[in-house]
Amino acid sequence: MKENIKQGTRSGMIFGIVLIFIILFGLTTTLSDIIGDFLGFNSNSRTGNTGGLMLLFAVIALWAGSRAASFDKFNLKSTLISGASVGLVMGIFVGVFTLLVGTLDAANIEMRDYLVQLNRQSIQFLLYGRSLWTGTLISFGILLVFAILGGLLAYFLEEWKAGDKIQKRYILIKGKVLDSDLAQRYQNNPRSRWISYGILLVIVFLIPQFLGKYWNYAMGTVGIYVLMGLGLNIVVGLAGLLDLGYVAFFAIGAYTAGLLTAPAPLPLQIGFWPVLIFSIIMAAFAGILLGIPVLRMRGDYLAIVTLGFGEIIRVLIRSDMLAPYVGGPQGIRDIAGPSLFGILFNEKAYLYLIICAILLIILFTNYLQNSRVGRAWMAMREDETVAQAMGINTLYYKLMAFATGAAFAGLGGALFAARNQYTGPADHTLMVSINVLSLLIVGGMGSIPGVIVGAFVLKGLPEILRELDLYRLLVFGGLLVLMMIIRPEGIWPAPRRMMELHDKVDGVPPEDSLVGEEG
Amino acid sequence: MSILETRGVTKRFGGLSAVDNVTIQVPEGSIYAIIGPNGAGKTTLYNCITGFYPSDEGEMLFQGESLVGLSPDRITKKGISRTYQNIRLFPAMTALENILVGAHPQLKSNWFDAILHTPRQRAEEKKALEDAQDLLNFVGLKGKGDLFASGLPYGEQRRLEMARALANKPKIILLDEPTAGMNPNESVTMMRFIESLRDELGITILLIEHDMKVVMGISEFIYVLDFGQLIAKGTPGEIQKNSQVIESYLGRGAA
Repeated sequence: MKENIKQGTRSGMIFGIVLIFIILFGLTTTLSDIIGDFLGFNSNSRTGNTGGLMLLFAVIALWAGSRAASFDKFNLKSTLISGASVGLVMGIFVGVFTLLVGTLDAANIEMRDYLVQLNRQSIQFLLYGRSLWTGTLISFGILLVFAILGGLLAYFLEEWKAGDKIQKRYILIKGKVLDSDLAQRYQNNPRSRWISYGILLVIVFLIPQFLGKYWNYAMGTVGIYVLMGLGLNIVVGLAGLLDLGYVAFFAIGAYTAGLLTAPAPLPLQIGFWPVLIFSIIMAAFAGILLGIPVLRMRGDYLAIVTLGFGEIIRVLIRSDMLAPYVGGPQGIRDIAGPSLFGILFNEKAYLYLIICAILLIILFTNYLQNSRVGRAWMAMREDETVAQAMGINTLYYKLMAFATGAAFAGLGGALFAARNQYTGPADHTLMVSINVLSLLIVGGMGSIPGVIVGAFVLKGLPEILRELDLYRLLVFGGLLVLMMIIRPEGIWPAPRRMMELHDKVDGVPPEDSLVGEEG
Repeated sequence: MSILETRGVTKRFGGLSAVDNVTIQVPEGSIYAIIGPNGAGKTTLYNCITGFYPSDEGEMLFQGESLVGLSPDRITKKGISRTYQNIRLFPAMTALENILVGAHPQLKSNWFDAILHTPRQRAEEKKALEDAQDLLNFVGLKGKGDLFASGLPYGEQRRLEMARALANKPKIILLDEPTAGMNPNESVTMMRFIESLRDELGITILLIEHDMKVVMGISEFIYVLDFGQLIAKGTPGEIQKNSQVIESYLGRGAA
């Protein structure tokens, strides 16, 4: 009982603070609009979509309340108490905040200078366009009631699950299917793996047929990030070299393609396909050139130096000094797009091109991973000193990893420039490096499926939640922090990495069982 | 003829001479030992031989060729393997992968072979895998090839480290306290194993060891280091009677 209230209060405080945080960032307005639009609520032009806001509060309260149900022993009373205390505290936090900003606003005190999102309109929105106390009480009421409802919901769901016959039957059927003759034959057949791959491949190649023009374009962007992720995966995930200036190789690929195919600033106008190969070679060459002085450094030092290199490239392509040769701040226009038999690729054909490139790179990565070269990279990552004592020329293999990663980024860069038929300094900021590294971390370092999942989460989701674009960085940061806390190995990690992060926990009995033995 | 030789090797850290003018000679096909109290400079001498520390003076010869100035990987490629006092496996790699890394100098396939998966690379890989499996069986880790190195028990990690060192097909292997942390039974097994390396595979062995039973049991000749200096050398019988050795181990009054 006491524990319920304590836990509930703590959880309520966290949710309350998060809600205030969301309001301060103005996220409430956007989210409410999305929810409201989706459900077809009428939007009031004066205050915005207040129905959406109510629903947003209700959903968050439901979530908070349902979490509260698992604090203690699972019975109706404790669930009610937990839910109520969560709702109460959350309601008080948001209520007091609303009252405060409402009062300040009523007193004509301007808060915009400090808190950009707090203007008269957004405060009116927060009060549902009603009076100060009414608005506050509505929020408070919603949070309290729905937190309790959330608790009850979780309780009954759990009850239902415990006594559920459907679930048991499902497990039974699943077991039967897995044991069946056909399934067994499938599992024992060495060719079955290839069949699965084949089916997957067919699905992948069918996808662009069903996507519209916009989505084919968006998926193309995701694909380019997959390519870069696969490249950085070799450098960071396999060889353990933290490269924060990875965008430099992307830029070199894009600019090589741009300079050789565009009419200005250099009048070369070579076709797309030979230039694609040349871009890859140039990027790999840049990787080696950068690597020679830099790769003697280890760990943090390497990260800082590569960071600097990335910025140098960006500043150079932006500079007035080199503007006559690389286009300066305006970048390069009229880059040749990919074409076959004189027909320029549309979005769909382009997406197919990207998919082919990804498949090829996955194949290469797979081969590299399971070879003498891949093992040498992994050994360096694990223990560089011992790796050298195993006869591995560490500098040579580091250069190789750097060049391979750079080549993949160069491919991505050339494809990127060719699709947009434009490239400029703004395409090659530090954010690109951070994005690629983040997608590795979120997806799972050292894992090929992880790279793909990570790219979809970090580049694909923002396309879906287009309206949240302003908050991408916020969501990004939050997501990374969350990932590191709950799943540090990433969404789809490589087995060896999972082992690394979790083996210390294995074999140690959970605290509860130790306490239980004493009692 | 001695396969490994040091001539007046000296290594200083600041004002301290960790290894001071040490000359040793290890004949081919023998089992030699280096002993000495903690901090005597035994492991530092290993690090000089294997190229991790550049020696300040003197030279190391392997089969008559100088090792001075060579990087550790070049020295390993010549056929010198080593193990470590505190086991240093690649923890997040499987037992088999660890051995395959050890076989690195034996393999030829390069980046192009790997990325294009050439028939040459596939054949080599198949052979390497078979060899690694044989080594795994040889050190008694049959069936554990797919386990991560960090998941193996202590004794098995030691043997895996040996297997990894052997994968290089070395002519000489430098062991650093191979029986550290083992109980008497395990030590005896390890002794027999070390002897079998020499007898069956013809590998010359130099070992650092604290366990006197092991040292006296298997080594043919012993060098004693103290404060970086060679204070005695001789057969196990001679060393046991040497008053200077007893003094350095037990203190002045004991001799």
